[in-house]
Amino acid sequence: MSWHKPPAIFPWALVLSAAALALCARHAEAAGAPIPHGTLELVAEKQWIAAGHPFNVALQFELEKGWHVYWVNPGDSGEPPRVTWDLPAGITAGDIEWPVPRRLGTASIVDYGYEDAVMLIVPMSAEANLAAQGPVQIAAEVKVLVCREMCIPGKAQVSLTLPVKPQTSPLNAKSADLFAAARKALPRAAPANWKFGLSETTDSFVLTGKLGRRIRYAIFFPLDESQVSNAGPQTLVPTASGFSLTLRKSDQLLKPIARLKGVLVLSGERAYSIDMPVGKPVAASTKGAG
Amino acid sequence: MKRSTFYSMLIGLILGLILCTAPLLLAAAKVGEPAPAFTATASDGKTYKLADYRGKYVVLEWHNNGCPYVGKQYNSGNMQKLQKQWTSQGVAWFTVLSSAPGKQGFVTASDENAYLAKMQAAPTAALLDPSGEIGHMYDAKTSPQMVVINPQGVVIYDGAIDDKPTTDLADVPGATNYVSLALEQAMAGKPVATPATRPYGCSVKYSDSSH
Repeated sequence: MSWHKPPAIFPWALVLSAAALALCARHAEAAGAPIPHGTLELVAEKQWIAAGHPFNVALQFELEKGWHVYWVNPGDSGEPPRVTWDLPAGITAGDIEWPVPRRLGTASIVDYGYEDAVMLIVPMSAEANLAAQGPVQIAAEVKVLVCREMCIPGKAQVSLTLPVKPQTSPLNAKSADLFAAARKALPRAAPANWKFGLSETTDSFVLTGKLGRRIRYAIFFPLDESQVSNAGPQTLVPTASGFSLTLRKSDQLLKPIARLKGVLVLSGERAYSIDMPVGKPVAASTKGAG
Repeated sequence: MKRSTFYSMLIGLILGLILCTAPLLLAAAKVGEPAPAFTATASDGKTYKLADYRGKYVVLEWHNNGCPYVGKQYNSGNMQKLQKQWTSQGVAWFTVLSSAPGKQGFVTASDENAYLAKMQAAPTAALLDPSGEIGHMYDAKTSPQMVVINPQGVVIYDGAIDDKPTTDLADVPGATNYVSLALEQAMAGKPVATPATRPYGCSVKYSDSSH
């Protein structure tokens, strides 16, 4: 064996280790806590907490290419990130504001989640009597399932220390753009002049919308599990003033539900929150289809 | 065009349509409906037919040894405990391996036998389903998805193993086990209170799976 002639694999090993180092450096710069195939960081939108005023923090997930985490309703498999907050007295965490998810998976197994990166904004409230305190620590333990081909559960502790002042805070220059971008990815409230209807048949829910224009593209993401079949067909019928979208019921839905909640995505990436009472079963009507 | 050519084309078209819609017409297993019949080769080299178990309760357990949700049940000893508890009461328990070759959880018969010995698992048999045929027949979405079939051959439970959809071993002791609950209620002549749930876990790694 000759030692002076390295095997042909050597240059590749050099290139790969350089690439690996570059990746490490990128992650080191992000200063996030490690999670499987990525990092997690807790960031604040403003420079300090103004006593008596609400404020926002966010969980920023950065994942290696192709890996994903899940929406609040993960779909057929998977699990959403679960957060346990450790907060000082006087600060309360609200619910995660979930951005519009993507459909992931195959024809027969459909999941809802986020590939590569996602920022989950969490609104916080601060009591007025916080003013007397010094800086406070906002901490969270996050359990997260990260998947691509296979799934790896992870757990991370993240924290953030913020001063408390009586006056309102300017934006944090480092994170303000990230918050603005994350807000654009949230579903919005539907315009007040749009009219929706929801009826059911034995095996389907039928969501109708009158939006004042023909709708040729619509996908519904059910917020709660086991109501709508994730892999089932969503049949869109455009009408002159909107659409009718038939959603197959989940096989796991054995009792009637009072309301159906979810996110309706229309063309142009516009997404709207839907929360509709389920109407009385109706015979298929052609009234709206003209 | 000759008339015979026309008819043979028409017949071809009709046959094609029937063939391409056939998989959609094969209804997947549903609670309250007959369990789809299957014949499978197990890791012990024997052939098992569902029809031979008419008159017994049957449990199907979708398995993938690399899935952390499956790991939670096996590393805690819970799955083995359930297998022993119910097979000792005459229940047939089949572990079903639907991972395609090259995918996570795919095993050869000898791999599986080594795993069963190492984990001290005690199913009636571990069925090898690398084509995913049984998995698709039951529309199995996840490991560990669980199905319970009654002695009349009707599906009485389809869904999660328990009510704690996590990978935490600490969640096993406090969980309500839906499989045991379904078997206990059915054996006592009662209706199964929770016959269908979301089968949490890892997606079944069929040949077309990309996640």
